[in-house]
Amino acid sequence: MSCDDNHEARAKDRARRSLPVVGGDRVGERELGSREPVAGGTGPSQGPENNARPLPLWRSIEERSLLGPHPGAANEFPGGAAELDGVSRRSFMQLLGVSTAIATVGAACRKPNEKIIPFVRRPEETTPGNALHFATAYALEGYTSGLLVESHEGRPTKIEGNPAHPETIGATTVIEQALILGLYDDDRAKQLRRGGEAIAWQTYLADVRTRGAKLAEKGGAGLRFLTGPTTSPLLADLRRRILERFPQAKFVSYGAVANDGAVEGSKMAFGRPLVPRHHLAPAAVILSLDSDFLADGPEQTRLSREFGARREPSRDMNRLYVVEPAMTVTGGMADHRLRLRGSDVGSLVATLCGLLSGRGLSTLGPVGSLGHGQGSWDPKWLVALCGDLERNRGRSLIIAGRRHPPVVHSFCAALNVALGNLGSTVEYGAPLTTDATSGTAALGALAEDIAAGSVDTLVVTSENPVYSAPVDFKLAQLFKRVPNVIYHGLYEDETAATCNTFVPAAHALESWGDGRATDGIVSIVQPLIAPLWGGHTEAEVLSAFVGDGDLGTHELLRRYWRGMAKLPGNLAGSFDNVWERWLADGIVPDTGAGAESGVTINGQALAQAAAPLLARSGAGLEIAFAIDPKVFDGRFANNAWLQELAHPITKLTWDNGLLLSETTAKGLEVETGDVVEITYRDRKVEAPALIVPGHADDAITLPLGYGRTATGHVGRAVGFNGNELRTSDAPWFDRGATINKTGKRFKFAITQDHFTMSPDGRESPPPAVSAPLAEVLNAGSMFHEELEERRGPQAVIHQPVDYSGQAYKWGMAIDLNKCTGCNACVVACQSENNIASVGKDGVGRGREMQWIRIDRYFTGSPEDPEMINQPLGCVHCETAPCEYVCPVNATVHSDEGLNEMIYNRCIGTRYCSNNCPYKVRRFNFLDYTGDISAARELGMNPEVTVRSRGVMEKCTYCVQRIERARIATRIEGRTIADGELQTACQQGCPTQAIVFGSLNDPNSKVSQLHTDTRRYDLLHELGTRPRTAYLARVRNPNPELAKGD
Amino acid sequence: MSPLFRPKHNTLAQISLFVIAAGALGVPGGLMLYARTPLARGMQDPIEQPLQFDHRHHTRDEGIDCRYCHNTVDKSPAASIPQTQLCLNCHSQIWNKSPLLEPVRESFFQNKPLEWRRVYKVPEFVYFNHSIHVNKGVGCVSCHGRVDQMAAVEKATPLTMGFCLDCHRHPEENLRPVSEVVNMDWKPEGDPVEAGRLLAVQNNVHTRTSCTTCHR
Repeated sequence: MSCDDNHEARAKDRARRSLPVVGGDRVGERELGSREPVAGGTGPSQGPENNARPLPLWRSIEERSLLGPHPGAANEFPGGAAELDGVSRRSFMQLLGVSTAIATVGAACRKPNEKIIPFVRRPEETTPGNALHFATAYALEGYTSGLLVESHEGRPTKIEGNPAHPETIGATTVIEQALILGLYDDDRAKQLRRGGEAIAWQTYLADVRTRGAKLAEKGGAGLRFLTGPTTSPLLADLRRRILERFPQAKFVSYGAVANDGAVEGSKMAFGRPLVPRHHLAPAAVILSLDSDFLADGPEQTRLSREFGARREPSRDMNRLYVVEPAMTVTGGMADHRLRLRGSDVGSLVATLCGLLSGRGLSTLGPVGSLGHGQGSWDPKWLVALCGDLERNRGRSLIIAGRRHPPVVHSFCAALNVALGNLGSTVEYGAPLTTDATSGTAALGALAEDIAAGSVDTLVVTSENPVYSAPVDFKLAQLFKRVPNVIYHGLYEDETAATCNTFVPAAHALESWGDGRATDGIVSIVQPLIAPLWGGHTEAEVLSAFVGDGDLGTHELLRRYWRGMAKLPGNLAGSFDNVWERWLADGIVPDTGAGAESGVTINGQALAQAAAPLLARSGAGLEIAFAIDPKVFDGRFANNAWLQELAHPITKLTWDNGLLLSETTAKGLEVETGDVVEITYRDRKVEAPALIVPGHADDAITLPLGYGRTATGHVGRAVGFNGNELRTSDAPWFDRGATINKTGKRFKFAITQDHFTMSPDGRESPPPAVSAPLAEVLNAGSMFHEELEERRGPQAVIHQPVDYSGQAYKWGMAIDLNKCTGCNACVVACQSENNIASVGKDGVGRGREMQWIRIDRYFTGSPEDPEMINQPLGCVHCETAPCEYVCPVNATVHSDEGLNEMIYNRCIGTRYCSNNCPYKVRRFNFLDYTGDISAARELGMNPEVTVRSRGVMEKCTYCVQRIERARIATRIEGRTIADGELQTACQQGCPTQAIVFGSLNDPNSKVSQLHTDTRRYDLLHELGTRPRTAYLARVRNPNPELAKGD
Repeated sequence: MSPLFRPKHNTLAQISLFVIAAGALGVPGGLMLYARTPLARGMQDPIEQPLQFDHRHHTRDEGIDCRYCHNTVDKSPAASIPQTQLCLNCHSQIWNKSPLLEPVRESFFQNKPLEWRRVYKVPEFVYFNHSIHVNKGVGCVSCHGRVDQMAAVEKATPLTMGFCLDCHRHPEENLRPVSEVVNMDWKPEGDPVEAGRLLAVQNNVHTRTSCTTCHR
């Protein structure tokens, strides 16, 4: 469409619309369209209570129900945002005078001379000034994911995924990205102590020697080890050696989040404990039974990648059905989502089995007969799902969530076997963890032993069990009754308070170690830096019991693997060469574990075993506990990046809330922010309520991991502790909770209404576009007509600059169809660009600094909304509105079209942010980096300026990476190849939703995406010519369930 | 009673008006001029190092290439101050008993780095990269002056933004064949500007003046 045509079209548009007049001509200049919204299909779904014009997209329930814009949303710098805390105008003027005087005097003095301190012996591989990358691995729940860590002169600064690792394939999770901040956390435990007395490692070893000798006399009776779930071959070997010396000793694995359901479930289904491993590449239809597989669990990065790869709009596009009680990242990606209480899922699966057995899958008959046939779900939904599964035998997948009991997992296994998915989308293998299970069952046995007084020495290397274990174990009291408790942890936490010997742990990036990925591939964990505060590894703590405590993990590890390397079939050559290879690659080849063969199901036996377990659940309000996508089980509570991250669904920062649906809240007369008292099994906890769209009715969800009482200063007293209500027999779901209002109110720091793009322009086209597959594939559809108007030339006052003669024309494309909203890009960006955290108070005032925000939009009703995520950083407009208004030229355009931000010029007028229609600029209201610890300084990226107070900042398209790549390639006399240069967000993205490159190269991936038929520009009507293009979300609904039927 | 103001007061008033006007213009003007002096820019101020290292001796007398010690200059943003071990490559053999070299031996055997004093510094928000300049034929001497004639190294150029931009706008004057970057005496043959233009083509020089070239 040419500019002239466009003018005409606009004039026509204006004529048929009544333009809202808000704030004069600025809005008039914008092309405010009242055209049919594209989101959510051809038309918006109309909520019955919504008698005003329904919003196609909404971010919060308040926004949806209000007729006008959300109060406060219109104000980019809300009240108080610009105030200086605790300083009156008078004292401000005094400070100003003094600082001016000091600056004048200071400027006249010569700068003090700095020192340059070179190496004494420079390590061979080091080139001062150039970063090195080391492969290592990290195990959150025992299974490792491969990392590639950037290190500047020995200081790790940035974490990437190891492309050679089968589980990470070059991307990372949110938690892995944030490890850097945890490493440099000054609040970590630094002192080995016995009681309150600081002791040396050698003293500790002597202690263990004496105690060990005594214990060995009795064969180790009374010696117990409580470890986290682990796949480490070294730790397994140490366990074997310990048990040789202390045959009566016992090891127990415990993790707050365990995969026990799947293991026990496969025991029910197959007669032996097995662990499923999933593959989404061949899966055309996926059913998630409350499994947040895109953002939770050790397979998440790989599964996200495989899922994203099949979201290309074609006949091959996969279809995702999700059944879940509370909205998750995976639920947000669903084509069909059924909200269902957790305790009803078992009944739903049994019914599904019944339906499928009626369609010829007779092996499911016995299990199917257990289904009640009906529940709170729409029967049509289940029938349609059945048809889809049946049509896609061998190309479907059913995944059950980790919170669910074995019976659900056993049905899930039966379904996968009956549908012929075994060997295609799912395979079962023997558990790779040292203990098959690591949930509450084994911990119960240990608790009984302690209560019986038969435990003398307890070694705890599990992550903070006193905090995370079910409350009925009363671990805190029990641990105090054990004469000798040795606890190995990163922080002086709740567990450390109960033990008499505390060993500070080395951080994962300070440790040697090993571990296996879900497919068995072994990775050697190598340290990036020597322990900052003298921490010790778990292997060192355990090896003390077999007299190897002073060997060090490196030696232990090498000794163990030297023995293993001799195994036939392994690499030839000297061990040193092999070892170096393993470390460099980040994986040990030929260590994968195959799938078990001969996996069969006896339907009758399974049905018999399952029948008593499938009893109808009790009555009353359901209480559910949820794994937190940010702080996990609470171990990352002291990580400010994670705490300040907006929760993918609720957009809540620095807290957890009691989640419930709008309907349930109305019934209980509770509103968001009301502090309520939850009573469950005579235990009470106070929590602030938070109404979330898409939550199952008559159910509440308590995210775990908050309410920590003993950790660093960041994580203490953040949120409430759901563990105080969690019991071992119902660790995830139960009925029978009651809620009473306390009358108190609580203020959340929720970012969902911050940085609203057009608070007054509610009629402009929806920022996030979504359409059903059929429309996308039909070239003449309304969808394409709509998008055609949202790209291409737009009339602007300024003559656009021609960039075609430049070597590069940087641009980005973000595929909303692949973005799951997992937040990995946000933290990757924060780590790469030295972005500050501002704290809960700061977020509450709209001062959060992350350069990328993920706008999470809902469409449809608050009960059953669909979700679209839109990551948004600076879009680098070619005619950037921010640049016209800067009085000091601190934001200007580069020759290659980058919208540059020059910190040293910025005087902090904030005009640019005011004029930015995308609201992507961030202002340093306070000096957030002035008082960071010396340790934290080590983790800063030396290639990016650390901003101080009064300076505006925003996404730079990772210009430091561009310049680095440019210099490297210019020296080699070539140009930067497509894909050679990745921005931090792009590199961290598990689904590859973000693509960056040069638009001057017609063959680059980003150029191709910019010409995609799904491409559109955000706020295209303003004529800003953004360099970041978006690709519309595509939904792949089952025609049988299509809307309006 | 004598008048309150006498004729001399006229003169006084005129003088004081002149002084005020001169001060109003002169003080900022003077400060601005001062800021442009070598003194304010820390130039022409030889900096004593903890070790009496003499560049004249090493480069002129012994003919050691700059890149023997500053050996990352062509592959890293930093030129690098040599590690102690590198000094001892030679000085374990020659002058190995010299008292002048005692700090070097001490550093090596006690594993304690030598602490050199910085001569050249750009602000924290400036990201200068040695490797691209050296690889495109900007000689050491262009920014660092005749180090081969300095007993103690002093800052030879102001390293102001204007200094950098002058060259980024007109690089021809400071280009030389890449093989001659460390040569302190190299002079172009013929017309320097014409030779520079030719070198810019030969060395594939494309200077940039976008802000993020240096500020990130």
